Amino acid sequence: MRDKLTYVLLAAGALFFFFNLHGIFDVLPDEAAQGAIYRIMYLHIPAGITCLTGFFIGMIFSIGYLTTGKLAFDAASASINEVALVFAFMNVVTGSIWARIIWGIWWTWDPRLTAMFVCLLIYVGYLLLRQAIDEPTRRGRLSAAFSIFGTVDVVVVWKSIEWFRTQHPGPVLDVRTGGGHIDPAMQSMIFRDLFAFLLIAAALVLIRMKQEENAREIDALRRLAHA
Amino acid sequence: MNAFSQALSIARKDLAIELRTKESLNSAGAFAVVILLLFSFAFDLSPEETKDISGGLLWLCFSFAGALVFNRGFAREMPNECLDALLSSPLSAASLVIGKAITSALLLLVVEAISFFVYGIFYDTNWLKQPWSLLAVCVFATWGICVIGSVFGALTINLRLRELMLPVIIYPLLIPLLIASIEMTNLFLTNQAFNFMWLRVLLVFDIVFTCLAVALAEIILVN
Amino acid sequence: MDTRNLTFMFYGFLAAWAIILIYVGTLVRRGSKLKRELEDVKRLLSAKESTPPRL
Repeated sequence: MRDKLTYVLLAAGALFFFFNLHGIFDVLPDEAAQGAIYRIMYLHIPAGITCLTGFFIGMIFSIGYLTTGKLAFDAASASINEVALVFAFMNVVTGSIWARIIWGIWWTWDPRLTAMFVCLLIYVGYLLLRQAIDEPTRRGRLSAAFSIFGTVDVVVVWKSIEWFRTQHPGPVLDVRTGGGHIDPAMQSMIFRDLFAFLLIAAALVLIRMKQEENAREIDALRRLAHA
Repeated sequence: MNAFSQALSIARKDLAIELRTKESLNSAGAFAVVILLLFSFAFDLSPEETKDISGGLLWLCFSFAGALVFNRGFAREMPNECLDALLSSPLSAASLVIGKAITSALLLLVVEAISFFVYGIFYDTNWLKQPWSLLAVCVFATWGICVIGSVFGALTINLRLRELMLPVIIYPLLIPLLIASIEMTNLFLTNQAFNFMWLRVLLVFDIVFTCLAVALAEIILVN
Repeated sequence: MDTRNLTFMFYGFLAAWAIILIYVGTLVRRGSKLKRELEDVKRLLSAKESTPPRL
């Protein structure tokens, strides 16, 4: 049942995104100053929102593990954080390619980019920490604690585009600005791409969670075999 | 005995042990001086350029030396199952973590004092232009570094490659604190006006991570 | 469509999908490795259960 759901989510997300490509390239208006490169926005912003949402939900599952002790919560937290990290890479790489043309540089140490890069490093550390601990309950407990610490930086990244006025553009979506900063058709496409990314992310999380379950089963059977 | 007095008694115990052997203080102090020496060879700087990079140079030096200090914090309790004895005692896990952080912070402040003195000589700089403001930055930033170091020292205590994992985990978390302290140190070393934004970052960092450390200490330490 | 900076736009889309596909590739590799390990352990367990205990 879960395998079917995974395939449906993956297929739906991919198809929805490819359907959006038609809108992105043929229907939506051009941006006056940037040329075709502005269309990276339809990957960059949805990837950013997906990764920050993922890290936050990962923290919630971490708290779930700490309160219930169920390893399924730990598997969910680890899977969600890992998939969110992939979208964080996508956000940073697409942003960098966009910046190369618009700002003339691949990277700058402005507060927003720095906060996002720090977030990336923190969650790479999270995965390294999980790899370094063999015992499952200890791994769950310590990585849950680390995930809670890491979420402080996620909040900083989310708010940084409001707090700091630097090279990186400020908020444009109506939910954050109250309206008037972006063409409604462009905003609608950002949300449609976000929906596609969330479907793909959900499918990847389910695949990853199944692998965590398999790893736990192997551990349990190994213990039985060597008892 | 309330939690704060428990933390102080842990700090007193650790300071007594440290002052007997001075192993953390000597190694961290020597390491800080070596880093300052290396940087003075690595960059051929004019007096103006030195002023611009002073904050970064000093805080990199303090954070690397700090790793030697708080690495010893919980590692000291591993032989003879001292950590298990401490956890079985009426002491709360939070007071253990905060006590270790207090010890590390005091030791790191001594290392910083030595480093400022050496820095003034190697780089021919007057660092006493705004001494009280500089002291305030050092105290708040050192507390932030040591509270994170203490919590993650406890977290990594039984890990494979503990000495490698600890820096890899804590330095990304410390970046906002280090940026704020570097900016403020640069301001005070060049005798410029106070910047409340960076002070706010420093204070919020300290408060948030101290609260998280107290809240999660039990989960990290107790099996 | 305005074709200024089209090449870099293409690189951006390519990079985004390459990241996803590389991750899917690592998931597939990890999944096959886990499946193999699971079969090995099950085989080990059934061999242990079928071997009579030595007295």
